Amino acid sequence: MIYSLLVVSSPVSGLSSRSAAEFARCAIARGHRIHRVFFLDAGTTAGSNFSVFPQDEADPVRAWEQLHDQHGVELVLCVASALKYGMLDQTEAARYERAAASISPAFTVSGLGQLVDACATSDRLMTFGG
Amino acid sequence: MSVLLHTLSAAPSSAAFKDCLKVLQPGDAAVLMGDGVYAAVPDTEACGALLATGAQLYVLDTHAQLTGVTCTAQGIGLVDMDGLVALSERYCRQMAWY
Repeated sequence: MIYSLLVVSSPVSGLSSRSAAEFARCAIARGHRIHRVFFLDAGTTAGSNFSVFPQDEADPVRAWEQLHDQHGVELVLCVASALKYGMLDQTEAARYERAAASISPAFTVSGLGQLVDACATSDRLMTFGG
Repeated sequence: MSVLLHTLSAAPSSAAFKDCLKVLQPGDAAVLMGDGVYAAVPDTEACGALLATGAQLYVLDTHAQLTGVTCTAQGIGLVDMDGLVALSERYCRQMAWY
């Protein structure tokens, strides 16, 4: 099956964002394809390139990057949410005259249309919040 | 018939939890996650209300362990993340309560 995920919670608050990444890994292991992960609201902070986690904690950003690098999972931050949370790619950083991009290169910034497209393209949409 | 897969991450005291109880029905499955795992504690009001819905009930094992919910009510099964994926294969629609 083709899956897409919607993540609406911050990776540093609660368990949902980490659970979403684990769900994606398990789904791939069961032979499914993760078409896209769309991050909304505080969920967009999962793409931060500036977050630093203690050595004895799993790095949630790295978990998503591995899914992108190893399995080609598309990671999309909602542009409206991303801007509010300071999650800027090179284009947005230049547009708003900020010093640097703040998101990992594994992530892209795009509009809600990407979520609509993911719903239309996928057999399943799983939402992770809270 | 498989109807809806509910993922319930809201605490039993929350409005989302109470709203979920109103729509859960036999044929649905609900997986308790996050703060929702507290509803798996036996002999609590929330647990009783969940069991009364007739839905298939599960609690995500890693979240239960992390929150210290080591004893879960009879009628609420333990499921791991692989099991949650398997449930999502069976139920074509999900509702996330948080």
